[in-house]
Amino acid sequence: MLKIDRRLIKNFDWVTFGLILAITLIGIATIYSATRLPVEGMDGSQPDFYLKQMLWLCISIIALFAVVMIDYVWFYRLAYIFYAIGLILLIAVLIAGKSSLGAQRWLNLGFIAFQPSEFFRLAFIMAFSSYLVNKNLYERIPLSCVFVFGIIPLFLIILQPDLGTGILLISLFVILSVMRGLSRKIITLAVIVSLISIPFLGHIFWENMKDYQKNRLIAFADPEVDPSGIGYHINQSKVAIGSGSFIGKGYLKGTQGPLRFLPEKHTDFIFSVFSEEWGFLGSMALFSLYIVLFLRGLDTAKKAKDEFGKLVATGIVSMFFIYFLVNTGMTLGIMPVVGVPLPFMSYGGTALLSNFVAAGVLINIRTRRFELFY
Amino acid sequence: MKKRAVIISTVVIFGFFIVLLRMVDIMLVNHDRFMAKAQFQQVRKKAVPVKRGIIYDRKGRELAINLDTESIFCDPSEIVSPERAAAVLSRTMNAEPRAYLAKLAGEGRFNWLERKQSPDLGSRINNLKLRGIGTITEPKRSYPKGRLASQILGFVDIDNNGIEGIERQYNKYLEAQPEHVKVHRDARGNMLSDGMMKELKGSNIILTIDEGLQYILEKNLHEAMQHWKAASATAIIMSPATGEILAMSSMPDYDPNDPSGSKPEHRRSRSLTDIYEPGSTFKIIAGVAALEEKVFSPSAKFDCSSGSIELGDKKIKDAHKHGVLSFKEVIQKSSNVGTIKIALKLGKDKMYDYIKMFGFGEKTGIDMAGEVSGILRPLSRWSGLSIGSISIGQEVGVTPLQVLRAYAAIANGGYLITPHVISEIRTPEGGLLHKTVPQAERIISESTAETFKNILKTVTEEGGTALEAAVDGNSVAGKTGTAQIIDPRTKRYSREKYVSSFVGFVPADKPRLAMIVVIHEPKGKIYGGAVAGPVFRKTSNEALSYLSVPRDDMQEKGLLLISTTDKR
Repeated sequence: MLKIDRRLIKNFDWVTFGLILAITLIGIATIYSATRLPVEGMDGSQPDFYLKQMLWLCISIIALFAVVMIDYVWFYRLAYIFYAIGLILLIAVLIAGKSSLGAQRWLNLGFIAFQPSEFFRLAFIMAFSSYLVNKNLYERIPLSCVFVFGIIPLFLIILQPDLGTGILLISLFVILSVMRGLSRKIITLAVIVSLISIPFLGHIFWENMKDYQKNRLIAFADPEVDPSGIGYHINQSKVAIGSGSFIGKGYLKGTQGPLRFLPEKHTDFIFSVFSEEWGFLGSMALFSLYIVLFLRGLDTAKKAKDEFGKLVATGIVSMFFIYFLVNTGMTLGIMPVVGVPLPFMSYGGTALLSNFVAAGVLINIRTRRFELFY
Repeated sequence: MKKRAVIISTVVIFGFFIVLLRMVDIMLVNHDRFMAKAQFQQVRKKAVPVKRGIIYDRKGRELAINLDTESIFCDPSEIVSPERAAAVLSRTMNAEPRAYLAKLAGEGRFNWLERKQSPDLGSRINNLKLRGIGTITEPKRSYPKGRLASQILGFVDIDNNGIEGIERQYNKYLEAQPEHVKVHRDARGNMLSDGMMKELKGSNIILTIDEGLQYILEKNLHEAMQHWKAASATAIIMSPATGEILAMSSMPDYDPNDPSGSKPEHRRSRSLTDIYEPGSTFKIIAGVAALEEKVFSPSAKFDCSSGSIELGDKKIKDAHKHGVLSFKEVIQKSSNVGTIKIALKLGKDKMYDYIKMFGFGEKTGIDMAGEVSGILRPLSRWSGLSIGSISIGQEVGVTPLQVLRAYAAIANGGYLITPHVISEIRTPEGGLLHKTVPQAERIISESTAETFKNILKTVTEEGGTALEAAVDGNSVAGKTGTAQIIDPRTKRYSREKYVSSFVGFVPADKPRLAMIVVIHEPKGKIYGGAVAGPVFRKTSNEALSYLSVPRDDMQEKGLLLISTTDKR
């Protein structure tokens, strides 16, 4: 299983690795700025989020290299087992989960607390990809497939409830199905069916949502409804980004985060803090890093030596992209506040680890693009 | 397959494009609006804490200081349940919940709940961590010596504006000009400062008052009030050479730490705001004028054996029949008949000139508010009777300060001085803003002053009217006064109500202190020597030993040792 090959080192995708490392380091610097004390010499000490994130980065890098060393054919073989574990974890979190902000997402293992959905989304990509490799969905989508990879996981996610992961799962299901080649007829049908069913599904979603989640959607529709209440997040985020202007206020000069106007400043709204300090120029630079990362990922999908690799790479890139889009859209007030972190930037140890593992898979696929099955 | 990849790439780029468009909108197009919003919510003007200047006595002892207190306020817009907040607050403050309910439930974003409470209470309120309720540190004016010199100091209102006394008159020096600085405010409403905010202070005032003398004076005045069951009593101690007021008080007084409920007349410095008829203490004017104008020599004789003198249709009597008196004895025994005879010989023009020269009928110019000029009718409005009445201290209204100043002129060798209570005004850094320069104007010759001083010395000696005012071991020069009070209803002199006074200076030959004691409406005895004399004596005794003034009889009693140790 483990085989250190010279080609492994020669073909290692340093570009992807360098990009995610750079983004993570920028993230740590921004976390430091966001959580610093608002006034120098003030009483109290800075929370050590940035130090924790550094520690997690080290763990994540080790995990990434471990993932790269395993031939991804093993992921193909073990995909269903991963997926089964993932589903069990999702059930477990509903029973024994720790709730935060009214949603049950965290599973406490004693030494570490993590969100099973972070593991599950990767397992989903692998399992669904390996399913699609052997199935031709061109004519029809089997009901079992819809159940196993659609309804059941979505149901478990909605029960938490976790809007962000829900959106991600639906998007991945659609993207991977389309990639595998659905007929134009089925795509049209699906679009029509989903358009009709959105009100019904939306209703089910709405009924299951916690009050704060409903408020977020209301606030998204009209942030000025109650500026200090539900629209608060969005307004404060826009104020932060808007006051960044073209060149920004400068590193460690931002005020919205340290003055606590911006909620979740080091997690979901880290982009607001970044663009307040670095301005439009800095944000464009950051976006460039992400764009290169995505295009590189799509290139990996294109160059992957097998169908499984193509699908998994597309899934992973799509996941990064969806998170990126939903997160930045949320901070800019063009997406509802659904509590999605910005990949590699936001504070959160297990999320970082999970993203690095996903990137590891991506690098794995690219690194082995010339290899044949041994 | 390739086509689908293109579709996905298109979606990716489209997504980016939407986000980019939005960023251009927020960061570049509408930048100003969001920037203004950020400024508006993050920056607050904050008043820099200002502290009033400190009032010191002449030796740098603090008479008025500032204490840090905590004021409790609420922001009604942040309070969810006013009823519950009121209940919690009232439990901590030991007050009725109703007292706070209106303020907690009110409009606006700022209401005071309690002002200037103890820091302990402030921290207890903060520990409650009630939303929308906070505390601000405010300096509170405090008078650590309580009632001491309260009429001179005055007091301030809750916002530290001077209301009475020095606090009011010198408010613009004492108060610091409030300033605002811009500070960051966080989302929870906390003002954030780096702790480097400077503290603004008002200028400090150094008085001529000596805390020790003030204490001695007030103690004895208070005792006299009680002993004589008097309506009121007023006294001043002044340095006769410079006009520095060393102590000044009126009884009853009040506590400046809690001025509410006190009567306005108890808050005034009645020594300069209230007038009375001086009676016999005024006789020195005629006497000094006669000597200065050489109308009489000190050895001149006056026949006072009839015990009365007729002026027009009015008969003025002496308290006792005296027989033939020398000029000196007229003053010593305070003979009305003798004094009127002196005045008649002097003539009313000269009499009037000297009264004016001694500063009666006009303000002394003391640096305190509320001084009155007294009543001295112009010569044209004098009746035939007036010269006699005025020479013995009737028909004139004077303040105790005016009388004391006249006696100080004899003590200091003939100079009319300007009394003052402010010694210096200094900035908080110590820079001199104002220093009172003693002002003196010669009004009589040194020899007249010296001669008259020796006459005044006999008043407290055998045969004088104020043996009770004699001071241990030091000679006293002074004069008693006993005046009837005009009943405001009948417009005639009352038979029961008198003003008893004693004014003089010690030690007579090297005067350190000039003092006047005026007791209004004493019960039991009425004569100035008996009523005010003991107050003068006791106060002088204590004051001279407090000041370590060597005794006149030091040598004969073998007390030289005290003075040599003193000089060290």
